[in-house]
Amino acid sequence: MPRWFTRMARQLGALGVTVLLGGALTATLVRTSPGFDTDERLLDPRLDAQSRAAIEAEHAADGNVARFYVRHVGALLRGDWGISPSLKAPIGTLIRSRLPVTAEIMAIGIAGGWVLAFTLALAAVLWPGWARVGGALSVTALSVPAAALAVLIFSTGGPIRAIIALILFPRLFDFLRNLLADAYAQPHIVTARAKGLNPALILIRHVLPVCAPQLLALAGVSASMAFGAAIPVETLCDLPGIGQLAWKAALARDLPVLVSLTMLITLLTQICNAVSDWAGAGLQKGHA
Amino acid sequence: MTRRFLPVLVVAFTSTALAQIGGDLRFCLRADPKTFDPLLVEDDNSEAVRYLTGGVLLRVNRVSQQFTPELAASWKVDEQGRRITFHLRHGVAFSDGTPFSADDVTYTMNRLMDPQLHSATADPFRSSSIPPRITQLSADTVSVTFGAPVSGLERLFDQVAILSAHSPRKLAAVLGPFQVAEYKPGIEVRLSRNPNYWKTDAGGRRLPYADQIHLQIQQNRDLELVRFRRGEIDLINSVDPEVFERLAHDAPSSVTDAGVSLESEMMWFNQAPSAPLPSYKKAWFASQAFRRAVSEGINRADLARIVFKGHAQPAAGPISPANRFWFNTTLRPHPFDVPSALRRLQEEGFQMRNGQLYDGGGHAVEFSILTNAGNRSRERMATMIQQDLTALGMRVNVVTLDFPSLLERMTQTFQYEACLLGLTNLDLDPGAQMNVWLSSAANHQWNPNQKSAATPWEAEIDRLMRRQASELRPEARKRLFDRVQQIVWEQEPFLYLVNKDSLMALSPQLQNTAPAAVAPQAYWNIEVLRKSSQLAGNR
Repeated sequence: MPRWFTRMARQLGALGVTVLLGGALTATLVRTSPGFDTDERLLDPRLDAQSRAAIEAEHAADGNVARFYVRHVGALLRGDWGISPSLKAPIGTLIRSRLPVTAEIMAIGIAGGWVLAFTLALAAVLWPGWARVGGALSVTALSVPAAALAVLIFSTGGPIRAIIALILFPRLFDFLRNLLADAYAQPHIVTARAKGLNPALILIRHVLPVCAPQLLALAGVSASMAFGAAIPVETLCDLPGIGQLAWKAALARDLPVLVSLTMLITLLTQICNAVSDWAGAGLQKGHA
Repeated sequence: MTRRFLPVLVVAFTSTALAQIGGDLRFCLRADPKTFDPLLVEDDNSEAVRYLTGGVLLRVNRVSQQFTPELAASWKVDEQGRRITFHLRHGVAFSDGTPFSADDVTYTMNRLMDPQLHSATADPFRSSSIPPRITQLSADTVSVTFGAPVSGLERLFDQVAILSAHSPRKLAAVLGPFQVAEYKPGIEVRLSRNPNYWKTDAGGRRLPYADQIHLQIQQNRDLELVRFRRGEIDLINSVDPEVFERLAHDAPSSVTDAGVSLESEMMWFNQAPSAPLPSYKKAWFASQAFRRAVSEGINRADLARIVFKGHAQPAAGPISPANRFWFNTTLRPHPFDVPSALRRLQEEGFQMRNGQLYDGGGHAVEFSILTNAGNRSRERMATMIQQDLTALGMRVNVVTLDFPSLLERMTQTFQYEACLLGLTNLDLDPGAQMNVWLSSAANHQWNPNQKSAATPWEAEIDRLMRRQASELRPEARKRLFDRVQQIVWEQEPFLYLVNKDSLMALSPQLQNTAPAAVAPQAYWNIEVLRKSSQLAGNR
């Protein structure tokens, strides 16, 4: 059996176990959270005993978390995401309709955050005067809470889709600046700069290959950072994405939606990390 | 060729002109509607869609609070309130052109009463163990016969949107002024005008005036306000007093206070015997003198003035003055009277020492008030009550929880001492409050699900509520329910604090607005709402 096949099988196994564990942990946390068994509809004084019993029976179905989880995973394997008890809609449809919104703001946020952070980090390394500018911008952006930034940009009519970029920028900037500073301090790069080689060539041929594994690892982490930022941004700016769905589901203690989203996000994060690991390993091998 | 072309031009010109009469209206829903099936509506957002799209047999006019004929040209209640007979309007068609007939009413009622449907709208119809019988007497006459007399029978039909028995479009075929044209989850429900809507204005023009309604899904109320200020939406059906004041300052013509609403804010003490509370606290909460003292220690006028910026009034009892017929006009809000409160407490064996109140057993009087987190008005009210009750030597802690957690404590674990919440009466008739006042009911919040009434006054309320439910003469019912209100005022199981005003924001471009205190306050007359033509054309 080829080594790559064994390695891939091992990684896929680890991926599956992580996703299942993530889902199980979420199910347990949601099930034990205060207010899980309640239903606002029961406050409706119009309801008679039969209707109240029917609502209570709906909740009883998800009462045993182990039984719920096994049933839910079984249904997922058959392609059935189930129905959201709080939104009364198929979870698959909810995710499909909201995924493009989140994917778009995450893509713009990651791309924007990287361009901004990389440009300023490079400027800070090459021209020391820029270090203060980049540092000041980074500290300012870091000190403003994501929610406040979202409200500020939305209420002033600013570009909502740029919010995640501004949230990611300071988190990427420090790391990139240190990484690039280390790379530019390498003796062969110092020599190349001293000899007056084209700075763009130095960056592309010498600096980036040195930093590539760490950059790829950071790219993998950026995806989960961007999703973390998407939750408050979508909620506050009323963007109908996965982050907003997760927030609504959390408030409503919507077990099937929360478990499904956790599994999906764990899967996507793991895939991003695995791809960046593979690419980094491949580059290192090629470099050697 | 010219003769053929001319009518096309006329139709095109007429439709363009009509489009400029009403234009598109835009306002917000707080969340996605959970259902588009009008018989399964349970949440406010689905209710908004049902109101805008559903045709009903009769409607409670939101301003006059009187029944008005809609799809039923007339009706008659007989057999001592056991039967209601509707004579249907002629020449009415669903939005897809399918004619409306008695078949549709029969179909709707049969579907509504299906026990498997578990419709909250159906439950009030089940006043006895015998299900209602629907009889089609002719093509335009239908009767519904109940197992037992039902008081205030007509009001139940205000919320029953008639479905089509024959239309291939099923639920999409409607009789209301608008129909659902598009639903983008999380973004918008777009309604288009029902081309076959039966109502016309005084000039014979077919209603509604507006061409489309964009119900934008907007959970965040601050952003809703931003959108209103930008002119992106035309109305906010309910605004809180702080926002109202800000808007009134910036654009006075954009806000309306329609007077006191049906909503009230109230507080109650946990009197459930199974509550995990020390017995001495249970004794305080069960004491009428203690509750009355707390009530007299709360400055309701200040709550109305400070928390609600003057857009509320001290509440006297369970029915708001906005409910013209059922409000007991003899009741007055309990006055803010600290000396009287202290006297009551002293008579009950409480003692004040160094500014702290102690009960007869030497326990310091301290309790917590639970309310839902994120509701700024309630959080402020709780803080003000905390402040007021220090004058009685009571230490009050304010606890805010998210709603599911609060609900768990309130309805399952009973792990709370006092609770501050609001009550929204959607139904004017007290019959809708049976499950609040009967001691055996689950919504009898201060001590739910009692096997037999725990106190003589609760037993009396039980008797009065049952009697009014089987009494058909409105005046006699009123007398019975006035007595219920009187008992609640005396015993104060609920401490009614304030009745909030009905506040809304309406774009100055909107015409024919007639704000009401009863929901849906701003758009109850949606058929005639329109934008001024010049501006509508520009949008």
